[in-house]
Amino acid sequence: MRFWPFLGRRLIQTVVTLFAVVTLMWALFRLIPGDPTTVFLGAGELPPDAVAALRKSWGLDAPLWQQYLDYLRNLLTGNLGLSFYYRRPVLEILLPMLWNTLVLMAFAVTAATLVGIAVGSWLGWRRGDKTEQIGTLLVLIPRALPIFWIGILLQMAFAYGLGWFPIGGMRTPAFIPETRLELLPGYDLAVHMVLPLLAAVIYFVTDPLMIMRTSMLEVAGDDFVTFARATGLPERRVRHLARRNAILPVLTYTAIMVSFAFGGQVLLEVVFSWPGMGRLMVSSVTQRDYPVAQAAFFFMAVVVIVLNLVLDMLYAVLDPRITYE
Amino acid sequence: MSSVPIPVVEAPGVDHARWATTRIVLGSPSGMVGLALFVFFCVLAVAGERLAPYDPMAIHYLPSGKVAQVEAPSRAFWLGTTHYGRDVLSQVIVGSRVAFIVGIVSAFFIAFIGTNVGLVAGYYGRRVDDVLMRLTDIVFGIPFLPFAVVLVALLRPSIWNIILTISCLLWRTTARVIRSQVLSLRERPFVRAARVAGASDLRIMYVHLLPNVMPMSLLYVAFGVAWAVLAEASLSFLGFGDPRMVSWGQMLYAAYISGSIRHAWWSVVPPGLCITLFTASVFLIGREYERVVNPRLDRG
Repeated sequence: MRFWPFLGRRLIQTVVTLFAVVTLMWALFRLIPGDPTTVFLGAGELPPDAVAALRKSWGLDAPLWQQYLDYLRNLLTGNLGLSFYYRRPVLEILLPMLWNTLVLMAFAVTAATLVGIAVGSWLGWRRGDKTEQIGTLLVLIPRALPIFWIGILLQMAFAYGLGWFPIGGMRTPAFIPETRLELLPGYDLAVHMVLPLLAAVIYFVTDPLMIMRTSMLEVAGDDFVTFARATGLPERRVRHLARRNAILPVLTYTAIMVSFAFGGQVLLEVVFSWPGMGRLMVSSVTQRDYPVAQAAFFFMAVVVIVLNLVLDMLYAVLDPRITYE
Repeated sequence: MSSVPIPVVEAPGVDHARWATTRIVLGSPSGMVGLALFVFFCVLAVAGERLAPYDPMAIHYLPSGKVAQVEAPSRAFWLGTTHYGRDVLSQVIVGSRVAFIVGIVSAFFIAFIGTNVGLVAGYYGRRVDDVLMRLTDIVFGIPFLPFAVVLVALLRPSIWNIILTISCLLWRTTARVIRSQVLSLRERPFVRAARVAGASDLRIMYVHLLPNVMPMSLLYVAFGVAWAVLAEASLSFLGFGDPRMVSWGQMLYAAYISGSIRHAWWSVVPPGLCITLFTASVFLIGREYERVVNPRLDRG
């Protein structure tokens, strides 16, 4: 298959997936006992005719299919409704949070990928010796660590214990820089990001690392490596060559990592009170602020699905040998 | 039609491999450690209350009559007490039961659904494969933890709803892996022989193909246990755990919410360590077992 038909097919698939997720979400939120008016007003606080009027104005008296179509139309036009809790449009609340989430996640995914590539290629190159065996075993430990526990431990040690970093949040309220260092733009944000980022990297690094290692092992047997070595290149340069050729599977994995990063992200945001979408989602589910919870979930799903598409495309561009299947 | 000799090909058996498997898993130090840890938690989960020094929900008082709030480890409370004056050690011991139930039951469903989807998709191919694999793609598009939070909160937090949520989504990886195995297996002579001999589709799938993908599904049972335990811990930590049961995740939630984490390491380290060790034990067993399933991975 050629590139364009492939792109077309993937686009259709993406739309179908989005549609399915949106429908699922709509159905899920119908599982709530009662209807939004009882959550919004509290049961029995208003006379029945006022509730009926509200139901009518919200379109809740319409048949289900009508409600579903309305919901789809509202989504498409970017109308995500009103927060029950903040009494403001959902979008207004959500957008800044989305930004905060993406900042932390972008740094975490990038850092984990880079560390993974570096350590993985190093381990893969030392095939078979003791360092490699112990290294691969050690690397598996983070797989078993609950990310929120890593977060709490880091918080206990470096925030409560040593006091090196802030306990949580994203900014110091009314921050006044005092030293030269603190004058640097983004200093306050960076300081707040250190601990959550560290936790995220410990947690996410395993997969890119192991993939890089395996890929390195595969490339190490290739002819070009033998040839490069035969020409007398220093080992460091040979490894560099091999690394560049082994990097591709790690990049593909980044897409998968992003989709599973949201899970870790939600937990980290809660531990470190990071004002992001994950934390917002958890608190809005607890407060029964369903429009916000719904929208937050929707945004996360969109990011996952769209990123998967983008990285698929990127992969096709990066590796021309790929068959579009 | 000239008579075509029907090749007598036996489906590669797995029976004789069973002992070899046990030997390999037990033969490596990391496999041994994994198995020992697993058995240890098994005992904790089964014996539970009988091993625990106190009732995990009992509130203890100091001789002065005050609640034994966040007491450091002592002779009476080996791992100290929680913010509410409960014994950490007893909670950790009894908490293993939730991990066990959630881990085993969800892992069973993850492997069961995943294997069946993969088997049917891979065997029938074409339309069926297309539909099932697109479905799998859609499930892959759903971020797990956010979905779990929404579903569990809407259905009311309970251990069965947590299991339901985990089983609903995490079969996806198993399905993909099993399908790709079936795709290559179904072209093998023993499958063709069975087809020529007139075996029905169901028979080929469940009598001939299934035993061959079984080792791989078992591997995913092991991974499934680990994913499920971590998922339960995460949900509980976010406050969506089963309110009627003690779990490690809930202990961490309580420690975090009450602020005990500021100074009381004993309220944080034991439950977290248990989650880690339990998950690690399954991973270690799985890793050794993987060497049997996929000998190419074997590092000489």
